[in-house]
Amino acid sequence: MPMLLRSLAPTLIAALIYACLALFVTNSYYQLTLTLVLVWASFGLSWNLLSGYTGLISFGHAAFFGLGAYTTALGQIYFDITPWLLIPAAAVIGGVAGLLVGFPTFRLRGHYFALAMLAYPLALLYVFEWLGYQELTLPIKRDNPFAYMQFSDPRVYTLVALVMLLMIVAITRAVERSRFGMALVAIKQNEAAAEAAGIDTLTWKLRSIALSGAIAGAVGAFYAVVLLVVTPQSVFGMLVSAQALTVSMFGGVGSVWGPLIGAAVLIPVAEILNAELSARLPGIQGVIFGVAIIIVILVAPEGVFWKVRDRWIKRRAAAVPAPVAEPASAPHVIPFVAPAKPATRPDWRDGKILLSVRGLSKSFGGLKAVQDVGFEIREGMILGIIGPNGAGKTTLFNLLNGFSLPNAGGIWLDGVNMVGRKPHELCQAGVGRTFQVMRPFARMSVRDNVRVGAYVRAANEEEARTFADDAVARVGLTAVAGKVAAELTTKELRLMELARALAGKPRLLLLDETLAGLGHGEAEEVVVVVQRLAREGVTIAIIEHTMQSMVRLVDRFLVLDHGAVLADGDPASVTRNPRVIEAYLGKKWVNRAQA
Amino acid sequence: MNEISRPTLTRRAMLAATAATLTIPKAYAQSPAEVKVGLLVPLSGLYARPGAVMKMGGEMAVDHINKAGGVKALGGAKLKLVLLDCGDTVEKAKNAAQRMVAQEPDLVVASAAYLSSFTLAVTEVTERAQLPVLTLSYSDLITDRGFKYVFQTSATAASQARQSLPLLMKLAQSASGKLPKTVAIITDNTGSSIASAKAMREGLLKENGLDLVMDETFTPPLSDATPLIQKVRAVKPDLLFFLPTVISDGKLVLEKMNEFGLSQGRVPTISFGIAIAEPDILQTINPSLLQGVITCVGSWATKGHEELIAELKTRYNEPWMTQNAISTYGDMWLIKDALEKAGKADKAAVAEALRTMDGGPSKYYPGGILKFDDKGRRVDAEMTVVQWQNGIPVTIFPQKLAMAEPLWPKR
Repeated sequence: MPMLLRSLAPTLIAALIYACLALFVTNSYYQLTLTLVLVWASFGLSWNLLSGYTGLISFGHAAFFGLGAYTTALGQIYFDITPWLLIPAAAVIGGVAGLLVGFPTFRLRGHYFALAMLAYPLALLYVFEWLGYQELTLPIKRDNPFAYMQFSDPRVYTLVALVMLLMIVAITRAVERSRFGMALVAIKQNEAAAEAAGIDTLTWKLRSIALSGAIAGAVGAFYAVVLLVVTPQSVFGMLVSAQALTVSMFGGVGSVWGPLIGAAVLIPVAEILNAELSARLPGIQGVIFGVAIIIVILVAPEGVFWKVRDRWIKRRAAAVPAPVAEPASAPHVIPFVAPAKPATRPDWRDGKILLSVRGLSKSFGGLKAVQDVGFEIREGMILGIIGPNGAGKTTLFNLLNGFSLPNAGGIWLDGVNMVGRKPHELCQAGVGRTFQVMRPFARMSVRDNVRVGAYVRAANEEEARTFADDAVARVGLTAVAGKVAAELTTKELRLMELARALAGKPRLLLLDETLAGLGHGEAEEVVVVVQRLAREGVTIAIIEHTMQSMVRLVDRFLVLDHGAVLADGDPASVTRNPRVIEAYLGKKWVNRAQA
Repeated sequence: MNEISRPTLTRRAMLAATAATLTIPKAYAQSPAEVKVGLLVPLSGLYARPGAVMKMGGEMAVDHINKAGGVKALGGAKLKLVLLDCGDTVEKAKNAAQRMVAQEPDLVVASAAYLSSFTLAVTEVTERAQLPVLTLSYSDLITDRGFKYVFQTSATAASQARQSLPLLMKLAQSASGKLPKTVAIITDNTGSSIASAKAMREGLLKENGLDLVMDETFTPPLSDATPLIQKVRAVKPDLLFFLPTVISDGKLVLEKMNEFGLSQGRVPTISFGIAIAEPDILQTINPSLLQGVITCVGSWATKGHEELIAELKTRYNEPWMTQNAISTYGDMWLIKDALEKAGKADKAAVAEALRTMDGGPSKYYPGGILKFDDKGRRVDAEMTVVQWQNGIPVTIFPQKLAMAEPLWPKR
């Protein structure tokens, strides 16, 4: 909590200044602008909570906003309820609407999700027109205006909006700093990796849209109080959804400051342009506003906040003299000849069967990617799955941790059939994985990247941090733990992915071409790390298409070709197996090898 | 994070500084013999065109009033029009209204704001600021809220729904000598068309002794109007209500009617609203196709406005004078009358004058008198029936306002 408070301090200071400013502005028009800035900032934050953090762009936030606005209008007109109660009620309605919208819509990804979201407010717009609510006004309360939020002093609106905004900022901050926020950011950066790291992506997305919808509902409800008139066009219209996007994208997506900056700049600028130019050169205000936005987006594509932050960090980094040389953070440079396996390592042959695969098949149309594959992994062993390109190795991996469903066969983990489980469930059951194409969360630090993987085992934030630091240390990345992932080398990324999988304390670690794209020396370093992990008792299955670096690493080989098992045995026998040599090198090498 | 907040604060501080300087009351520089009148209409966005026409009407009236000696009760004080753009959204309209009451404290009265939903938002502000506002918007809600500072010069939507059919019946009788009996409806399925058609089907037709012989609803855009018009030809209705929303649909139906020999007023074709009589429609539809098409509107230039129509044409190049121009023109004269009655340039006094005035027959609004009831609705406000004749929509009914004889089949 104190962390949360400290993170709120800048916002509180800004809010205090804003409140002072509002108190001194007696002109009701400027005061209205001050109120609207807060309203749109709040709405931007609501959008940001879903789209900013998960990366699922919503073009339809007006749906929740409008439902909130109509809650206030209809509640006051037909039941004479005060907005003080209707705003919380609107939040509940917005939250429920979020769930109802999210459940079917989260099946879609990317552009399809964005377009589907567009449909909701448009549909609601016509529903409310059809219901006969083309124009609603909140009845004027001359006797007891305060009880109905009809303040005669416009400053009160600004203060109420400010309190609301602060609450939303606090909620956003709390989300940002918890596993909730980590899960959302992980989903944004890479949904598959998030699933593999044990994050139940659908559940977190639903929580996010419910919270976002609730906030949007409350903001819409307050908007109706400020405007006093509600029409379908003014609360469900395209411009409303666009407003949330504009302020957030201008200010910076995925940060609590983004929508605040966006609203604080755009709303007054638009209004000043309207006031100064519209009567003389009608329409010019829209042109200037549009051009200004285009320029800012071109100069700062991620938004003003990130641009300023990156520049500031760069300047500070330039001020501090750069470290003279790479510190000896790569102490694992080892001679080419790998050391013999330590005697301390228990014999895997004594381990019990951890994973058992029988009759596993998967075809894509006519292509039989995996055919009738069966093998066993015992605790403590390192299994190498090899085969030429296109042999079906990655498909097999995807079947093993739930990214795709087999057509036949079964996968037993500790005797339990895991076919049909989602990736995050398999992760919870103790199967961790890395990806052939690396899937880092680019904007997050190494430590945070790894922490995402820790939540699946960690009971609380504290433990997650401990697990993450431990995993970072185990792969030897402690020296770069503070760097953002985007600045890492390929080798460091590979190791970071390994650490992320390790942070969840897996019993079985699936490594998908962990050595791909690495130079010779680098590959050796990674091999050393994997060997050390094996020594520490982690069971590992590793995919590679080159045999060379694997021979010294693994206890047992499973060779695939054209989706089927070609050979299965210890490294020595497999490398001499004529069929393996044939598959890799062609027929004439078989004769030569046997000669 | 601390440091990041700095740019924001600076920006806000700058904003504050700007706001503060602007808040300082402006010195009263204008001559005391000038009365400021607000005109808050859409000058930008989707509704800029009607807003521009309202501005023309307002400017013409202010020139005429000032040339005729200004407000005599105020020593010949001149009217000064203060233009404000209410944009194309409810929020912009509310902002503009707030700007008007905050920035123009010496405004005594205003005319606003074209679209009903804008007028609703604007009057929420002006009511609290006790600034009287005249409006040509139709919505009943505007004067159903118990407001004291809004005055509706047109017949309200509900009143128009009640008035239009009997008005058309009277027109038919006077033009052809007998009452129409059969009616056909062709409507698209958009919200307002459906609402109008529904009201007719569910009572209005029966109340007026009309028999619905054909009832067709289509989804825009229409691809072929032939089956619709074949039916019209088969049933030969006395009246055809045609309620399109999309101009291309209107064009298709009118072309087909022409082809079948049903146009030129041979089957009296009636639409509602101002859209089909706006000058813009000529960019899409040939005036010969529109010949004879009738619409009922809240107000239009009528007999006695010939000079105004001519002036609008020479000064602004507007081919004819629509409701937006004539109504706003009338607003300024009404404001002048109220100022004469109030005897001082004070918004409370002008509001009181509008509430209590009894200015006799209305010169610029159709029917009724220059008097407002308790709700702020003009007493006995009527409508006008307009018909396309030789490329111009002219008022044909009520007879005392008509500028031309109706084109009507004499059977």
